[in-house]
Amino acid sequence: MSEQTPRINAPLLQQFIGRTIRLVGKVTDIHGDKATLDSSGVIVALTDRDSNLKLGNTMEVVAKVNPDLSIKVLTSTDFGNNLGRCFSLPPLGLCEWRRKGLMWGGWG
Amino acid sequence: MDYGSNYGGGGYTSYGAGGGAGAGGFSTHYGGSQGGSQASPGGSASRGSRSASTLRPVTIKQVLEATQPHPEAEFKIDDVELTQLTLVAQIRGVSEQATNHTYKMDDGTGTLEVKQWVEATAVLDGPSEKLRPNQYVRVLGTLKAFGGKRHLGAHHIRPITDFNEIHYHFLEATAIHLHLTKGPPEGLGQVTGGVGHQVHGQGQGRDVAMGGMSVAAGGGGGARYYPPNVSSHSRRILDIVRSKPQHTDGTHVNTIVQMCGLSLPDVEKAIYELADAGIAYTTIDDSHIMLLDNQS
Repeated sequence: MSEQTPRINAPLLQQFIGRTIRLVGKVTDIHGDKATLDSSGVIVALTDRDSNLKLGNTMEVVAKVNPDLSIKVLTSTDFGNNLGRCFSLPPLGLCEWRRKGLMWGGWG
Repeated sequence: MDYGSNYGGGGYTSYGAGGGAGAGGFSTHYGGSQGGSQASPGGSASRGSRSASTLRPVTIKQVLEATQPHPEAEFKIDDVELTQLTLVAQIRGVSEQATNHTYKMDDGTGTLEVKQWVEATAVLDGPSEKLRPNQYVRVLGTLKAFGGKRHLGAHHIRPITDFNEIHYHFLEATAIHLHLTKGPPEGLGQVTGGVGHQVHGQGQGRDVAMGGMSVAAGGGGGARYYPPNVSSHSRRILDIVRSKPQHTDGTHVNTIVQMCGLSLPDVEKAIYELADAGIAYTTIDDSHIMLLDNQS
């Protein structure tokens, strides 16, 4: 089975400690290599030089969840600042289907 | 409404236009001309009838878990044969060879190799056409298996510029999956005739092509109730049996096979399912079935 990066948001972080996840959030603050993302809750993201987060933009990050619920950003994609509201909803409203294993399966 | 005009029913025709130059385009499939323009290996020649050709939104996980009854057979997802697929994913790796470009794609649910054949005669594209790692793209293609490994033979790949399309795609894939495995939304199942379908517009339109159902029974009027959680095959059988007056002995299984164009095992499985749901029962012998709601 190839690797998966479940799409989650802040409230779900707890269930994904130690795993690689994907989430979409709005960059609300940047301090050096620490950034704050808003994804239905506040998330502290540890970035590196290449992460290139832009303040105010919505970014998708693939990241690893640390035990303290901060995330270590592996890659990021800038989604710009012109997205529909569905990005701020609980991950697509799909949690339900994921839990039942329709799309992701095997976890949660 | 915004999304509707961008991605909805109309979106599919625009794919045809966009893909036309490179890959023979989808408009030719639907337009009814022979699939001869498609020169890619394993192309339309091996496919079933063109009328069954659909474009189905999927996730990579679904592709990886697609079943194949035996080698060389068509792949199936949710028990429905695949023809054309569309998926939205992020490029993880690019490998450009003389004859084809191979991309490693990741949509969060899994990773899959996507191959696009390079046409020698293709007009050189500008630099904007080049696909780079980490870019999100929309891919149209068909699922291929080679040496036990699955890949997607892409007819068309285009970068995604409006990121709403990513979530749109996942929602669409979910909707289709649920429609095929659990039937139409309960409220809609009971709405009579065309109204229900128009309300549902885009989503439903494609499914009609997929299952070939609903429309067939349009004249039936009246009872159009589908129990929840029935498969598309069962719904198709319901439509067909309801569309003609029933003999008091019920309808023979072979008659249903002939009328709906499904295989005998598929029909038997569906009937079993309907019997299980309590809306069909066998009459004089195991091969004659009758519907409970058809006491006209």
